[in-house]
Amino acid sequence: MASPVVAQRPAETPPGPGRRRRPGVGRRDHLIGWLLIAPALVYFIIFLLYPALAALYYSFTEWDLHSAPIWVGLQNYTDLFFDDVKYPHFWKSIQVTLQYTLVAVPLTLIAALGQALLINAIRRGSNLFRLLLFLPVVTAEAAVGAIWRWLYDPQYGLVNAVLGLVGIPRQNWLNTPELVIPALAFIAAWQCGISMIIYLAGLKSIPESIREAAVIDGAGPVQRFFKVIVPMLRPTTFYLVVTGIIAALQVFGLVYVIFSGGGNRSVTGGPEQSGLAYVLHIYLYAFRYNAMGAACAMSFILLVFIMIITFVQFKFMKQEAS
Amino acid sequence: MNQKTVRRLPIYIALILLALVSVVPFVWMLATSFKNGPDVYTQVPQLLPLDKKTGEWNPTLGNYEYVFTISGLGTAFWNSVWITCVLVPVKLLIDALAAYAFARIPFPGRDKIFVLMLAGMMVPTITLLVPRLHVTQVLGVYDSPWGIILPNVASVLDIFLMRQFFRTLPVELEEAARIDGAGRMAIFWRVILPLSKPVLAVVTITSFIFHWNDLVWPLIVLNSPDFYTLPLALQQLASTESGRAYYIMAGAALAVVPVMIVLLIFQRRIMQGIAFSGLKS
Repeated sequence: MASPVVAQRPAETPPGPGRRRRPGVGRRDHLIGWLLIAPALVYFIIFLLYPALAALYYSFTEWDLHSAPIWVGLQNYTDLFFDDVKYPHFWKSIQVTLQYTLVAVPLTLIAALGQALLINAIRRGSNLFRLLLFLPVVTAEAAVGAIWRWLYDPQYGLVNAVLGLVGIPRQNWLNTPELVIPALAFIAAWQCGISMIIYLAGLKSIPESIREAAVIDGAGPVQRFFKVIVPMLRPTTFYLVVTGIIAALQVFGLVYVIFSGGGNRSVTGGPEQSGLAYVLHIYLYAFRYNAMGAACAMSFILLVFIMIITFVQFKFMKQEAS
Repeated sequence: MNQKTVRRLPIYIALILLALVSVVPFVWMLATSFKNGPDVYTQVPQLLPLDKKTGEWNPTLGNYEYVFTISGLGTAFWNSVWITCVLVPVKLLIDALAAYAFARIPFPGRDKIFVLMLAGMMVPTITLLVPRLHVTQVLGVYDSPWGIILPNVASVLDIFLMRQFFRTLPVELEEAARIDGAGRMAIFWRVILPLSKPVLAVVTITSFIFHWNDLVWPLIVLNSPDFYTLPLALQQLASTESGRAYYIMAGAALAVVPVMIVLLIFQRRIMQGIAFSGLKS
């Protein structure tokens, strides 16, 4: 943890020329500095550092939150990976989450890039369109889930009605295992506004001269897109892919609302666990079965996964920068 | 029409279609929320609140009345209002103070603490939930509004954003103020904060939206319906009244409309702010 106050050391900034330092100002600065960060630091220790370390410890225990945790070593981890009687849906939840990530992330990015390209191509009304396309982003997960449950309603839902216009038969979107992931991914793409804004910034940063040079060289719109725009947006895309994956792996609130029903706080993983996202699986073990140890172990597996992805991103960005 | 407009026509058509996909769910939500129960379930989707049999204009506010009073979304609405109104300013103050120290007041160990805090941002929320729940129980704030406020009362991301902004402010201003005899705190209040309105606005608005919308933490820390926040009450409503779309859509509108108003007022700041900070605390 943090080193204790070393009041005897001189202040880090030497006094500037022409500015006479009052005696004792450095020491007083140390104190003020500590006082100013104190509330945030206390918060950090109680609600971030301690919980993170405690979660690691609990992951090696069996614990129901009420009695004392019992140390079981690596058993939670080995059981999760190898005991499919004790944790029958662990691998299924990983599969669901990876599938969702694999569908939702590309779909979101394509939608975002498409919207950004279109908005970038117009002047009049671009603010209005940007605003309208951004609306889904600020909507509460609980509302998003509720609204889309109604839209996907097999009998009276708007989605089936619209698809009916082009001759696609009615589907029971949220109750057909094969359709659950596409239905969820579509909601994710519907909420692509953040990526859209970031792509727009990326497009704006492409120098006009490069575009003009491509036009002079006789590149058509398609060629310009693949030979100029896509390569120039590569860093943006990379950033969005990484953050998109990290977010998709943690999808929870939406599936929780979509698949909760039939009374107080009961939630399922959808038909045949087809919507059992990894974090939903953790939630069920922690807060329904009171298996805190196993839940912490699962959440640590996720943490390691996310740290690896973040680390790879860091390496790549450094490479890109040099 | 000149040539340029003609060439842009397909672009506008595509954008209008995309904007419809984006907006129609909300329109449909509002439309459903003003309909009487029987009028909701029609074979051909009907946007306007018309009587199913006679086709007459037949809107109602009854769904809002029902969810506001009987389903408890009224209580939840006010819970959300006051919790957000207490939480956001306190959080802003704690974060701004820390950010200022991290940006401008050198003291030993400062940068190590800052890096440690940043590293903490990598930990996924779900990992923290179980121990945080335990902490709230130990602190005696489980199942109370303080159980929501305390675990959210600072944000490393906001500290980071504000610190980056504070560092761009010219040091000379602070030095001038110091020569005039101002202390650290006076400089913070009278020099730094007034110059930092853009970043303060972004952090305030994104915090407001995040905490107004947050479902996961209230779901875990609250048990008594009297303390439910709006998203949690809405989730419960969607679960218990799952066959009655008109109630659920009225509840969803209660949660959505305030945020939409905020977005309309502060659109530019919000879009930039969220794009570069994400909507996570």
